[in-house]
Amino acid sequence: MSRGLYAYAITRDQPVDLAGPWLIGHRGLALVVAEVELARFAGLEFEEPSEDSPLAVLARYHDAVVRSVFRHAPVLPLRFGTVLDSVDAAVRLLSARHEEVSAWLSRVEGRQEWGVKVRAAQREPAHLDDVSGTAYLTLRRQRLVDADLARRAAATLHQALRDRADESVCRDLTRDLLLEGAYLVDAGHEEEFHAELGRLTAELGLSVEITGPWPPYSFTKVEFADA
Amino acid sequence: MDNRSGSLADTLERVLDKGVVIVGDIAVCVVDIELLTLRVRLFIASAQTAREMGMDWWTNDPFFTPKAVERADETNELARQNAALRDRVAELERTVRRTAEEERR
Repeated sequence: MSRGLYAYAITRDQPVDLAGPWLIGHRGLALVVAEVELARFAGLEFEEPSEDSPLAVLARYHDAVVRSVFRHAPVLPLRFGTVLDSVDAAVRLLSARHEEVSAWLSRVEGRQEWGVKVRAAQREPAHLDDVSGTAYLTLRRQRLVDADLARRAAATLHQALRDRADESVCRDLTRDLLLEGAYLVDAGHEEEFHAELGRLTAELGLSVEITGPWPPYSFTKVEFADA
Repeated sequence: MDNRSGSLADTLERVLDKGVVIVGDIAVCVVDIELLTLRVRLFIASAQTAREMGMDWWTNDPFFTPKAVERADETNELARQNAALRDRVAELERTVRRTAEEERR
């Protein structure tokens, strides 16, 4: 184990200046690759998510290469840590999966991914020392009603955004998240998407975190084999 | 390279857990991606991210975390015991010193 062919993404075969990585082209499709020292990937650990950890540096670079391609052409990001056997292997893959890959590239062409997170509003801790039983129950009911309203508002937002996106996915929610959605939005609908997002956020009084634009990471969950 | 990139957690989640997977003989396995992904998922799912953002309000709110009251009680109780023990140690030290002085005389 010394050096290997790290693959970042699949795209259309066209000139892209990537300062390092290069393209292995085959019948109009291409794999974006670079020769890497495999030792850098062995024994990677996820400890604390600090920017200078080896995993963070490699993941950021992977994302940067994918983004560079994404600015010029439709892209299918590959999962982190994809290393190919050889240039021949890359060509074999593009040859065997030509139609499928072409269809996926068309599907994401001209579209960007946007992430939308809605968090539950922060509330002051309740001081229960001087609270009567009735007041406590009233407070509790009020909080449950508020929480339910916030959940419904988040669902309304998701519905509206989904209608303005070509595709959408929702992630599993953790405790303080009311919505974590990814939306694949066509360039032609982007203005409308963001206008609606802004309007509903204000109207529903939600605390929203928007990330993006991303290459279509969340919309390319597929497996390709060479045969 | 593009400078517009997301937070580290968002980027890790996408780069490690999303995207096209290449399977079969052509790919070489160099990273235990499943283990890394699992850890990233756990990290994101745990409230750690939120806590780092100062959003740990619920942990001390008895309304959401009934144990918060107990924890506060426990802390008080420990402080009380601590004070009592300090007094006893000081008392014992005084006794020991007094006994030693008496013996010297």
